[in-house]
Amino acid sequence: MKTLIFPESDESAGLASRYGYDKWLVGRFLKYVPDIKEFLAKMEMPPTQYIRVNTLKTSRVELESRLESKGFILKHTVLPEVLAVEKAPISAGASTEYLLGHYYVQDLSSCMAVEALDVEENHVMLDVAAAPGGKTTFIAQRMKNTGSIIALEPSERRARSMSFNLARCGVYNTCVFKMDGIHAEKLGMKFDRVLLDAPCSCEGVIAKDVARKTSHRPQDVDYCSSRQEKLVDVAARMVRPGGILVYSTCSFAPEENEMVVDRLLRGFPNISVEPFEHGSAGLTSFGDIKFDNQLGNARRLYPHIHDTTGFFIAKLRVS
Amino acid sequence: MYRKPTREEKTQIKRALDKWGVFEALADKALIMHENNDLKTVCLVPQELEAAIVKMQPHLAGLEIGQLKKQFMPSIPGADIFARLGKRNKFYVTVNENAEKLVLYSRDVMGESIVEVSGELDENDLVIILNTKQEAIGIGRTRFAGTSLLQKGKATITTLADAGYYLRDEG
Repeated sequence: MKTLIFPESDESAGLASRYGYDKWLVGRFLKYVPDIKEFLAKMEMPPTQYIRVNTLKTSRVELESRLESKGFILKHTVLPEVLAVEKAPISAGASTEYLLGHYYVQDLSSCMAVEALDVEENHVMLDVAAAPGGKTTFIAQRMKNTGSIIALEPSERRARSMSFNLARCGVYNTCVFKMDGIHAEKLGMKFDRVLLDAPCSCEGVIAKDVARKTSHRPQDVDYCSSRQEKLVDVAARMVRPGGILVYSTCSFAPEENEMVVDRLLRGFPNISVEPFEHGSAGLTSFGDIKFDNQLGNARRLYPHIHDTTGFFIAKLRVS
Repeated sequence: MYRKPTREEKTQIKRALDKWGVFEALADKALIMHENNDLKTVCLVPQELEAAIVKMQPHLAGLEIGQLKKQFMPSIPGADIFARLGKRNKFYVTVNENAEKLVLYSRDVMGESIVEVSGELDENDLVIILNTKQEAIGIGRTRFAGTSLLQKGKATITTLADAGYYLRDEG
């Protein structure tokens, strides 16, 4: 599927010029982002920083007390383990508590993907594109370091980075395989839970990397969506009956999100999209394309509505 | 390569766990060996994964808790687990807040910054350095024995490893 490009309008040209985006991108945002002006204004602001309490090592109350005594101002969020950092006297990635693995600097949206997994103790879990390990370490703490997590990461450099995070967080129920998720079936296993946080065009993190306003190209979306379709097919085959597959990206592009899941639903009649309480409803159409109505159960997270980076989550039950 | 420990290695590991007061606490966990050239690392893994790891040989398995040389040398993640689960004994030394910051930059421990130490320690003993909250911040080697470790104006414990490596080495 080629990335959809819409004819330029006065509105898309004006907003693109005002906020410094390529016109094609704003033309697309107009089709699927609610309250576009608030959205573009929010993307100009530094994103809220979040930390996730590592309950393998401490409690939220204890961490709050320690960081607040150092001058941090923290705010609770919809997830009990996740705190918004309203003020940090030092970098959140340089405190003693960080070094001791008491927390992980991680966006709320990323934690939502783990929330959607509904992991339980002693589950057997597959994390298809795992590095640098933010979600993996969160999954491990939700599983209380029981069961097993198989994490796949093809890059040596990223696998090394992941090993630091697993060690810092005290995770020992995880095995990392240097493997592309495309080849996951070589593992010869079925899993209770599978997370595919798919490599994507990262449209959702433009606020963190403003160069993407103009460096992002339709071909990036084409490339990513093609790869995501292959990965999600493999991921779906790794889930045992009754299990859950969570598909997520940090992109807004429907070609990387609803279209990938819609295609999956057509190929796998035993898969359904389950509701998830956080975020806004997924799209059920884009341009002239209609998606399976179940896509309304998928979730979109927007910076100006949910105060997170842009994110997409589909919680898929395999029957 | 991941493999099960030999009988000799098992004895060495058992002695080490006993030394650090975690033998009972880790009794239901499996410990496997990772061998890379001459480097032998001990990894903590869930028991149910032990056989699969040896069979499937992942890139990384479980948590590296230390290296096996002539004696067992805990890693920082290992020291963290030992400090959280272990029974305190003479091989744990507590330092004050100022020393905590310095140790996290690999600096040695000055005698006056030690707030709790056993008089039974010998020179050259391997110790886990704790902060006042009893969390492992480093691993050190004593330069003196007993109460001489408290002498002022001298570095009395050499810091061999510290939790600051997560920032320094990852970057």
